[in-house]
Parts: sequence; C-alpha cells; structure tokens
Amino acid sequence: MNALKNPAHRAWLVLLVATSITWYLGEVGAAGTLAIVAMLVIAFVKGRLVILDFMELREAPRLWRALLEGWLILVSSLILLAYWISLK
Amino acid sequence: MQFKSQAVAKPYFIAAIGLFVGQILFGLILGLQYVLGDFLFPAIPFNVARMVHTNLLIVWLLFGFMGGTYYMIPEEAETELFSPKLALLMFWVFLVAGALTIVGYLAVPYATLAELTGNNLLETMGREFLEQPLPTKLGIVVVALAFLFNVTMTVLKGKKTAIATVLLIGLWGLAVFFLFSFYNPVNVVLDKFFWWWTVHLWVEGVWELILGSFLAFVLIKTTGVDREVIEKWLYVIVTLTLISGIIGTGHHYFWIGTPEYWQWWGSIFSALEPIPFFGMTVFAFNMVNRRRREHPNKAAVLWALGTGVMAFLGAGVWGFLHTLAPVNYYTHGTQITAAHGHMAFYGAYAMVNLMMISYAMPILNGRAANSNKSQVLEMWSFWLMTVAMVFITLFLTAAGILQVWLQRVSDTPLPFMVAQEKIALFYWMREWAGVMFLIGLILYITSFFYGGQEEKAA
Amino acid sequence: MCAMTTAALIPPETPQKRLPGDLAIWFFILAEMLAFAVFFASYAFARARNVEMFNLYQQTLDRNAGALNTFLLITGSWFVVRAVQAAHRNDQKAIPRNILLGFLCGGGFLVVKVFEYAAKFGAGISMSTNTFYMFYISLTFFHFMHVILGMVILTILWVQARKGVYGSHDAHGLESGAAYWHMVDLLWIILFPLVYVMR
Repeated sequence: MNALKNPAHRAWLVLLVATSITWYLGEVGAAGTLAIVAMLVIAFVKGRLVILDFMELREAPRLWRALLEGWLILVSSLILLAYWISLK
Repeated sequence: MQFKSQAVAKPYFIAAIGLFVGQILFGLILGLQYVLGDFLFPAIPFNVARMVHTNLLIVWLLFGFMGGTYYMIPEEAETELFSPKLALLMFWVFLVAGALTIVGYLAVPYATLAELTGNNLLETMGREFLEQPLPTKLGIVVVALAFLFNVTMTVLKGKKTAIATVLLIGLWGLAVFFLFSFYNPVNVVLDKFFWWWTVHLWVEGVWELILGSFLAFVLIKTTGVDREVIEKWLYVIVTLTLISGIIGTGHHYFWIGTPEYWQWWGSIFSALEPIPFFGMTVFAFNMVNRRRREHPNKAAVLWALGTGVMAFLGAGVWGFLHTLAPVNYYTHGTQITAAHGHMAFYGAYAMVNLMMISYAMPILNGRAANSNKSQVLEMWSFWLMTVAMVFITLFLTAAGILQVWLQRVSDTPLPFMVAQEKIALFYWMREWAGVMFLIGLILYITSFFYGGQEEKAA
Repeated sequence: MCAMTTAALIPPETPQKRLPGDLAIWFFILAEMLAFAVFFASYAFARARNVEMFNLYQQTLDRNAGALNTFLLITGSWFVVRAVQAAHRNDQKAIPRNILLGFLCGGGFLVVKVFEYAAKFGAGISMSTNTFYMFYISLTFFHFMHVILGMVILTILWVQARKGVYGSHDAHGLESGAAYWHMVDLLWIILFPLVYVMR
C-alpha cells in the first residue's frame, strides 16, 4: 500500500468513491434537505481535494489557498441558500 | 526619438487634439440644448449636434490610435516604419474625408446628404454612430487597410513583441468589425443585432486590446519594469477582456427581439466586464510602484494611472450599474446610459490617447519630457478634466435616477418631456462641469507650448 | 515597533511555500472560476423561483453520462498530476505518457458529451425550450469549451514534454497548464451534482 502515501493517488480514489455516492443518490431518487446537504458536502470535499492535492495548493502561499477554497465555500453557500429558499 | 519615421505620429496627434476640441464645443452646444431646446435652431438642430459630437469622438480617437501606433510600432519592432510616405498620405486622406463629412452634416439636411452621397446604392446611413455617408465609410476602410498594411509590414520585418502583437490584433479587429457597418438588413432585429458587432465589439472588445497595449508600452518606458512582467499582465488582461466582452455583447440583446436566453447570457458575461478594467488599474499602480527609474515625464505617468482608475470607474462600475437585465429593464436608454458613456469613453479611450500624446509629443519635439512648469500645467489640466468628468457623470447619474423614477417607476408616470423639465437643474450643473472640462482641455494644449525649452534633449 | 507586531502576528512562511505554475495562469483561473460561480448561482436562484419545472426536466438528463464524465475528468486530472510528479523526479518518459493519458480522458469526455447533446438536440430541445434547458445547455456547453481549451493546453504540454523541456530543474510551464486542467475538473465537480442530481 505504498502507493497510498502519494496524496494524489489517495485523492483520486476518494474522488471516484464520492462520485459514485452522488450518482447512487441520484439513482435512488434522493431529494429534499438531507440529500441536498449530503450532495453539497460531497461536492465540497471533492472540490477541496482537487484544490489541495491536484492543484497542489496545500503547500502554497496562504492567500492562494484561501482564494480557491474561498471560492468553493462561496459557491456552495450560494447554492445552499438558493436551495434553502426553494424548500421553504 | 529612436527612429526617424516615428515622426509621422505628430500630425495625427495634432489632428486628434484639434478634433477633440471640436467634440467638446459641440458637447457644450448639446448640453445647452438639453435645457434651451431651440438654442442655435435651425442652424444646428439637436440631432445634428449629437451626431457631430459622437462622430468627432470616434474620429479623434481613431486619429489618436493611429498616431500612437505609428509612434509605438517602430520602437517595438526596432525598425523604421515600412512606409512613412503612405502614413502621411493616409493622414491627409482621413483628415479631408473627416472634415468633409462634418461639413456635410452641418451644411445640408441629413436626408439631402444621404441622397448626394449615394446612400440609395448601398443603404448604410441613418444608424446611431454609423451615420457616415457611404464615401466616408469606404474612405475609413481604405485608410484602415493602408494603415494596417503599413504597420503589419513593419512588424513583419522587425521584432515581434507581445505588446505589438496585441496591438495588431486589436487594430485588425477594429477594421474587421467595422465591415458590419456595411451590413444593413431590412429586418430591424437583425440590423440591431449586427450593428452591435461594430459598436460593442469595438469599445468593449478590440479597443480594449489597443488600450492595454498602449498602457503597457508607456509603462515599460516610464517605469523600467521588466518587459516580461508587463507582458504577462497584458496577456491576462487581454484574455479577460475577450472572455467577458465577446459574449457580453448579449447585454445589448435584452429588448431588441432576440431570444430570451440573451438576458441571462448578457447579464452574466457583461457583469464580468469590469474585471479586466480592474486588472488594468491594479496593473498600472503595481508597475508604477515597482518602478526602477524616475522618468522625467511625470505627467505621462499620471495619465497612465488616471486611465486605469477612470476606465474602471466609467466602463466597469458605471457599466455594471445598469448591465443586469432586471435593472436595465428600467434604465434602458435613460441618462444613466449617458453617464456611463461619458465616463467610460473619457476614462478608457480619451485618457489613453492623452497619455500617449503626453508621453510621445515631447520626444517628438526632441526632449525626454516637457519642462517642470509645463508639466505642472498639464497636471492641472489632468485634474480639471478628470474632476469635471466625474461631475458630469454624477450629475447625469442623478438626472438618470430621477428620470427612471418619474418616467418609469412611479405610480403616476410622467411623459418624457415633462420628466426632462423636472431634471433640468442637473442638466445645468452638467453644462457648467462641461465648461470646466473645456478649460482643462485648453490648459492641456497650452502646456505643450509653455516653458518647454529647459529640459535637456532626449 | 509596528513592524515587529506585524511580524509577530503573521508567522513567517516556510521557504517551501510556493505557488505551482505561473502567477498569470492563477489570475486567469480565478477569473474563469468567478464566471462559473456567477453562472452556478444564477442557476440555483433561477431554480428557486421555478422548482417544479427544474425538477421535472432534470429527470430527462442522462445521469449515467454525467457520472461517467466525472470519472473521466477526475482520472484525466489524476494523470496530469502524475505527469507533474514525474517531472519533479525527472522521469522523462512518464511526463508525456501521463499527459497523453490525461488528454485521452478529455477526449472521452467530449465523446460522451456529444452523444448526450445529440440525444437532446435530436429530441428538439434548444436554449429557447425553457429556462432549465437554457441553463443546462449554456452551462454544459460553456464547460465543454473549457475542456477543449484544456486539451489544447495539454497538447502544447505534450509537445514540450517530448522535447524534454520539463524536469526537476523547471516544471513551471507544466504546472501552469496542469492547474488549468484541474480547474476544468473542479468546475465539473460542482456542475454535475448541481445540474444533474440535486433536487
């Protein structure tokens, strides 16, 4: 299991599994608050892995890491807000 | 100057400034006609004055762009201009054609002018900003092609820098998109659709490349920052301009009969158009802060910083104010548009030309920079014109907000002319700001003739 | 005094902290991401005003194709990371090989997408059909164009890599192009659940 020491390989595996979960949620027709939050959390985790381990910003200057992660937070919160409005 | 042929820029600059004065005088006439409707009627009716005001703007900016290009290209390509004679010939062709067109506008009624100039052969006249008679339009094409041939050949035989390449893309784009002024379909929706390909893709597309390239050139010369750094910024700005600007055309397609998705596309992409302008502001300040030398021409540096800030405010912020479809639903075609137009054109294109002229003219006159006294005067002109333009914009914005309210939002909407009377106070204030602008412009011109002999030769 | 307090507040950054790739590409990436952020938010808020319509037509989308494309982009990204890692350890053969594999994943994405579009357009769906389809086509097509641009960049990287331009001495250009390719991946990771699944 030496390969799993490479963060990119770990990230790749997690991303594949996470995508499958999202796909599965779609297949079983998951809807509503819980499903939305779950999918957003999954998307957030996936996006963060791409930023940190694929774009290799984990060791980058704080500003750039914050800008990209900030984008992810911003986008997810805007989507969450819009979906929350739609559920009311 | 480094190359003799750069001298052809001089007549272009002089003509540009001369036409600029004309534009401002007609602006003042127009401003007065807003409050005194029959001022100079019937000699110069409002529609004619407006046409002259906007056409002079376009023509003087084009003179400035050509002059700036002729100045810049030999220095970038490190070779003499391909043909200085052709450049001078085209100068006279363009000047005479431009002057005759303006005389035509003023001397005969527009319909007569259309008849006299063969508009029935190919109908291209009668559309805002593209009012030029057919011979003038053809003249513009000939001049533009000869000009492009001249500068492209120069670049081809010399060094090809990123700045020159961006400039050439901008200029070729300018020529190509002008061709849509000859396309005038009977269907009004199509007519407007393609009309914007000239108008929008000029000012919110290819002209921005020219602006970026001029700015980059002057910043390299005045700050001594590495070309590599400056070019990197230029690339980023150009890409952002094209990403936002091309599909941003959609913000003109909200209410002309095009499919509904344009409201989304236009709103989203044009909302991003301020970003490249913001990039230019950061770029200009960043480079000046990192300067490696103190260039004697402080006035030119001031113009460079000024154009960054004012282009962002005028084109970026004031554009964004009314670019989203739900907002534009109310503000379309009101004084908000006029406010945006004034500050955007001044901040982006008038100022970048003034910057280029301010940088190049002293060198063309054989010195690195004008005397201190002269530069102080020029900086006064900078502040007078810029502050005047800020006032014009603010007054027009106030007028626009009131107009939108009285004429469109209120429960008891007023007719157009009644609403106009209610906002006359702002038009008066705008007119006085216009006078202040003219004084600034006169100072700008004076500064070139004033105490200029002291600084040592370039 | 003032300088000292500032220094105390911000712990000194370790020298290894560096931004991979060129600063310019990161500005570009940020601008692109901002454009997509606006688009994503527009979609979400337009949906909030028309939930039933969006939910109804979302079901007509091909979720399997969307998920398959997610796998392809993630794997394409992964190959490009491996190319960058190969450059850092000077494995000259592995650099172009991995870039090529990344490129092929991108190509696979385009093929799947073209089939998906063919089915939709074949059914007579267009941007003017309704707001949901307007967003579906706009968002995915805008992203589609970015995949193509990413593949153009990968092609350039591949050509350069085969010339042996990249290595532990200099991976600047490779890292810049890779960052853009990862952005294409990142955008799809949001786009897929948002447009295809979330309801």
